[in-house]
Amino acid sequence: MIPVRDYLALIAAHLQGLGRRVALLTVVLLTGIGLQLVTPQLIQGVIDGALSGRDQSELLPLAAGVVVLALVAMAATVAATALSEEVGWTATNRLRDELTAHVLSQDMTFHTTRSPGHLIERVDGDVSALSTFFSALVVKVLGNGLLIVGVIVLITLESWLLGLVVAATLVVGLLAYARLHGVVVPWWAALSATQAELYGQVGEQVAGTEDIVPNGASGFMQGRFAEQAREVLPRTIRGWSGFAVMWMTNELLFGVLTVAMFLVGAASVAAGTMSVGGVFLVVVYVRMIERPLSQVREQMQELQKAGGAITRIEQLQAVRPAMAPGGGRPAADGALSLHLEGVTFTYPDEEDGRPVLRDVTVDVPAGRTLGVVGRTGSGKSTLAKLAVRLHEPEEGTVRLGGIPIGDIDDLRNGVGMVTQDVQLFRASLRDNLTLFDSGVSDDRLRTALEDLSLGGWLDSLPAGLDTVLDAGEVSAGQAQLIAFARIFLRDPGLVVLDEASSRLDPATEALVDRAVERLLADRTAVIIAHRLHTLDRVDDILVLGDGQVLEHGDRATLAADPGSRFAGLLRSGMEDALA
Amino acid sequence: MTAPHPTPPTRGTWRIMWRLIRNQPLRYGTSLVTWIVIWSWPVLLGLIVQAFFDRLTGDGGWSVGWLMAATAGHVLGYLALIWAGIRLHASLMVRARTSVQRAMMAWIMRLPAARPVSETPGEVVSRFRDDTEHLQEAFDFSVDLAGAGISAAVGVAVLASVAPLLTVAVVLPLGLTVVAVWALGGRIARYRVAAREATEAVTGFMGETFTAVGAVKVAGAEPQVLRRMATVNDHRRAMMVRDRTLTAATDALVDNAANVSLGLVLVLAVGTISIGGAGGLSVGDVALFTLLLWRIAHGAQMSGRFLARLRQAGVSVDRMLALMPGGTAEDLFAHHPLESEVGVPAGPAGGGGSVDAPLLELVGVSSHHPDGTRGIIDVDLAVPAGSLVVVTGRVGSGKTTLLRAAVGLVPVSGGEIRWRGSPVADPAVELLPPRVAYTRQVPQLFGMSLRDNLLLGVEADEDDVDRAVQAAVLAEDLDGMPKGLETTIGPRGLRLSGGQVQRTAAARMLLRRPELLLVDDVSSALDTETEAVLWDRLFAEAGTTALVVSHRRPALARADLVVVVDDGRIVATGTAEELLERSAIFRDLWG
Repeated sequence: MIPVRDYLALIAAHLQGLGRRVALLTVVLLTGIGLQLVTPQLIQGVIDGALSGRDQSELLPLAAGVVVLALVAMAATVAATALSEEVGWTATNRLRDELTAHVLSQDMTFHTTRSPGHLIERVDGDVSALSTFFSALVVKVLGNGLLIVGVIVLITLESWLLGLVVAATLVVGLLAYARLHGVVVPWWAALSATQAELYGQVGEQVAGTEDIVPNGASGFMQGRFAEQAREVLPRTIRGWSGFAVMWMTNELLFGVLTVAMFLVGAASVAAGTMSVGGVFLVVVYVRMIERPLSQVREQMQELQKAGGAITRIEQLQAVRPAMAPGGGRPAADGALSLHLEGVTFTYPDEEDGRPVLRDVTVDVPAGRTLGVVGRTGSGKSTLAKLAVRLHEPEEGTVRLGGIPIGDIDDLRNGVGMVTQDVQLFRASLRDNLTLFDSGVSDDRLRTALEDLSLGGWLDSLPAGLDTVLDAGEVSAGQAQLIAFARIFLRDPGLVVLDEASSRLDPATEALVDRAVERLLADRTAVIIAHRLHTLDRVDDILVLGDGQVLEHGDRATLAADPGSRFAGLLRSGMEDALA
Repeated sequence: MTAPHPTPPTRGTWRIMWRLIRNQPLRYGTSLVTWIVIWSWPVLLGLIVQAFFDRLTGDGGWSVGWLMAATAGHVLGYLALIWAGIRLHASLMVRARTSVQRAMMAWIMRLPAARPVSETPGEVVSRFRDDTEHLQEAFDFSVDLAGAGISAAVGVAVLASVAPLLTVAVVLPLGLTVVAVWALGGRIARYRVAAREATEAVTGFMGETFTAVGAVKVAGAEPQVLRRMATVNDHRRAMMVRDRTLTAATDALVDNAANVSLGLVLVLAVGTISIGGAGGLSVGDVALFTLLLWRIAHGAQMSGRFLARLRQAGVSVDRMLALMPGGTAEDLFAHHPLESEVGVPAGPAGGGGSVDAPLLELVGVSSHHPDGTRGIIDVDLAVPAGSLVVVTGRVGSGKTTLLRAAVGLVPVSGGEIRWRGSPVADPAVELLPPRVAYTRQVPQLFGMSLRDNLLLGVEADEDDVDRAVQAAVLAEDLDGMPKGLETTIGPRGLRLSGGQVQRTAAARMLLRRPELLLVDDVSSALDTETEAVLWDRLFAEAGTTALVVSHRRPALARADLVVVVDDGRIVATGTAEELLERSAIFRDLWG
């Protein structure tokens, strides 16, 4: 069945303020249906009038009325679509905004276990399935349904027998459709599965050309594709046969109705219970419901699918963030000390349930810089996220300027983070710098960029701060610098920096070096280093391994001690530990 | 913010249809004729209904019984036609689409890997799936257009035989409708594009926001980001409603045009409608007009849709051709019959050349990455038969590029590559098995059985497979799989661990028994012990020659020659022992 009640439960709150439009829509829709039902009556009037020899001047207004009503009905249909789409999209947009806010309010454990693609599918894909629901339900199902009922009533007024025949045939027909639909859907599903397999193959073969061509396997792989493609033909013929069956059922239905009309019509005219115009009226009415009927049928199948989307939206809405919003005490000004004590952290959805960090205690006094090294999976990034409260430790505490990090009021002004891969928005440079905060003056933005030696770059942009950044045109180094500028604009007391591991061109590298230097001045900093010479400028070194502190101490001291892990890493070029 | 989208030219897209027809003339012809009959069939029903009303008004003709029988026959004929027509058509369509897909796949697989497709795999899949579908739809509609057009012509002819002047008068508004629908076609396409772009702006912004969620949260930028989200969403609503409304308007235009025309018939003929239709229209004639006008209007709608599809197909063909650098429409539409086998191109011949010369030689070879970052500069390197040469260096020093240049995976911008002393014009074509086989750093497997992944079409007996599996240290992994070599490993080999993928790729390479093995860094997936066993087993066989990228001791210690690369240049060569004395970089790497 169509999940109307579920839909309304979800969307009702978002329909507020749209009442007038819904009322107008009802009026327009009913007017349109009424006009469509009246038109054939006018035609009947003309025919019966002509046959009974009435004067042309009496009939002409009726005939002209047919033209006028057709035009008005057309306008009503268009207006109904526009209004219902407007209502549907406005309401679902409100739902989209609400869900986006809901997703953004979740903590990072939620986000680390769900890809952005998955979230888009939940927030936009599922809601979009409902965007057209309103319009389809109101205009196509209810509107057309009403039209069909109206037609049956009017036919019954002409001849109760024909009314009965039409109603019975339609009921039988709808039941047959439902039955056939169950038969045909698996045919389509089989076709989709075969096609999915085929395109899966395309994807992996294209991604694997460097495995295929140098191993001399290109002919074989083309053969594999051709073989899978041959599977598609029989499934397609079967799937399309399903379509043919539905169409044939439709034609059979209307064939039966035509024969019935001939039989009853001829008998009734002979018996004098129906006029010729009346029979004509019935013929026109029956043809008139052909399209609405198929629309109702198609939309009922479509709308049933909305049930799945509604369930998934409700599931998403039910998710609650695990981390409480912070607050209570203000953060101190200036550089903030960072203190992690006995910190253990496990990602909740991790299959083996192994902690990423185990009993980590680290002290970064205010104003000092800590360089973190360790192999992939050693827990470096997790440590960084704990330091800015993107996660909360399972055990132990994180203190910032001596205050537990969860108690700090305005934490977002106290900490800043630059991730390894800076995600830029396809938006203006201004919006990328301020993250869409319109309250920052151009002068401040310009100064921040100039401080990072990006003044020249800014001048080279066609529209200056309003230039829309295209991901392809901004290098990894420039993206890092833009992220640095975001930090300068907020001036936090603790900076966490996950350096870009990709290779930068020498000019950008020099810029980044200078920027990092400025960034670290007068601030506490934690740097996950990916380049050797970044380590030259940190005060302390933390070597992580398998979630534990392997070594922690003053950089110069560790480097001078040939037995230390850090000295060993320096000798081997640190390829693994900087990965 | 959005670039203007010029309406793509329809010119040339008709040629596309012609090329598709030319590939299957007989099937297309049969389908076309069937569908013209299907489209025109309802005209017969109009004539039956006309006869019925004439009978009803006492104008003679067939009895009601005969008319009912005729209707039944008409319906049964229609059912048979629909069944046959759809199945014929499905076959035609699938064959046309598959041919185009096979042409693209052949081109991609034949592309010298030095010039790989620049599109992401996701985009390529979309070209194979969506763009071929757009092409197929246009091809499909070309048949419907012919059917709709001819059935409309038949309809008009029948009406004209009843009342010529009246027909002209009422077909005129229908003609205007056709023109209006065609004229709106361009606007509909523009609105559709704008709506799609607005949708992409929404999903794009969501994707960026969810990817950057950490940065947004740390900056406390949620309120601003949500405001922006609302703006983008609202724009999309406006574009969507506009698009849907215009589509509804054209549909309504067509749906109601028939009623307008019928009204005109009544207005013009109101004085002449009479029993028998003497001097004017009979009721049967009015019925005929009613039913046929609806059919003709439907044809008008069809033609509008076809033009939209044809434009879309033109864009799709351009996108497909973009996947085939250097290819033309001729290549894309070359016929690949569904049942035909793929011609497998012969690889290079093994052996040959001078026995004394090194197997592989790079002389002054330079190569730059297509993205402009550093590559290798002026590299001289010889790999004598029977030797292990190891290329080493820091991250980003150019060692992988060196290997890729040797098999033509990156273009060489200077110098010469020689095979057994003879210059190699195109390494991507000449340095293939049985001469050279290559395993990249992060290899990829395919969603087939493990055996098929090893063979990739090579003829080999069980002993050959066993030998390769043993040598690649894959045997223990196989023991852990209940179905052994018949295990299917999931799309891209995702069900295997990184190490298993690497070992399978090594076995795949060995199974080809190449004269030279090229192996890029296996350290990311194999631990040092496994790597040592791998080298031991490889060189247990006499005559093995290998050029390998590695920075780990098992390979370095065993090497006959170690080449140290730094900043794209060879800075030192020698055995590991010699280099420990001479090269500071090497000492760092050795640890």
